[in-house]
Amino acid sequence: MILESLWHGIEYSGFGQSIASSEVAFPLIETFHVFAIVTVIGTIAIMDFRLLGLTSRKWTASSVSKDTLWLTWGAFGIAVITGLLMFVSKASTYMANPYFLVKMALIAAAGVNMALLHRGPWKAIGSWDSALAVPANVKLSATLSLIFWVIVIFCGRFIGFTLGVYQAPM
Amino acid sequence: MSFFDTLFHATEWLRTTWVVDFSLWVSNTAPCQWLQEHFVAIPGFQSIHILAIGVLFGSALMVNLRILGVAGGGHSVPETVQRYMPWLWGGLAALIATGIVLLVSEPVRNMVNPFFWIKMTALLVTVLITAWFHLAVRGRMANWDRSANGKGAIKVGAAALIILWCIVMAGGRWIAYAPV
Repeated sequence: MILESLWHGIEYSGFGQSIASSEVAFPLIETFHVFAIVTVIGTIAIMDFRLLGLTSRKWTASSVSKDTLWLTWGAFGIAVITGLLMFVSKASTYMANPYFLVKMALIAAAGVNMALLHRGPWKAIGSWDSALAVPANVKLSATLSLIFWVIVIFCGRFIGFTLGVYQAPM
Repeated sequence: MSFFDTLFHATEWLRTTWVVDFSLWVSNTAPCQWLQEHFVAIPGFQSIHILAIGVLFGSALMVNLRILGVAGGGHSVPETVQRYMPWLWGGLAALIATGIVLLVSEPVRNMVNPFFWIKMTALLVTVLITAWFHLAVRGRMANWDRSANGKGAIKVGAAALIILWCIVMAGGRWIAYAPV
């Protein structure tokens, strides 16, 4: 299939091979990926727990968002860059791995969930900003966000344990 | 001698110590055998371990960036410390609990490994500084200007703590890459 030859081509490009063959490149990239995902999940949990009315109860939802959102996005950017660098070194192996595919789908789902929140209920935040009882659809959004990101973390960890299990078609 | 050579020699030295007998003894205990026999156990506990670091590091970032005056300007330092420090300590408890499970799951791989001991040393130093820091900030809460950021030594401490937690995390990741 044409996509398979694409992943194969990326993996065996000079750039992909220089990461794969270096003794320190992959672990170093992985280390920054860990810093980034830990920051992403940590700051997202702070926001979602506020939306669920569990923590930061004295603070408005918008002030918690102001504190965390730029960190979430900055860290997510680093996670994407480091993730892409790891991807190019083993592209066809990752594309054959179900945990990797589920992880990518869930990140996309988390993105859609967040976009729906910001395009919908967030526009009327003035009416619920300081309330602990936020609208039900906001609570649903926060719950889904936590579920998606927790499974993303689990999938990410399982990828490392199953790379040899799912082989890419040659 | 390169850094990796030094680590290689550190591993060789660890092989001559009581750590070997102890880790082999742990390998034969029932909890270790159970964890080894269940394929999902190790990555599962590692995932929970990472979630715990997320709670801890997220809290540490919010407190320390607030003291540095970089984030959280809408809330005072005392408010920020009260909001996040209990979650930092809670995250640490979950981290240590899952860390012990992970230690038992692969005793030799972990303990006969210089990165593990680098990580434990960094963790101990970081926790001690965090505790001292928490007490120092708490002692000043009453007369802390609502809008002010940290000053002098406290700012340096806040920046150092963010870096120290990153060193602890890096130590954890590199356990898998010890030169043997």
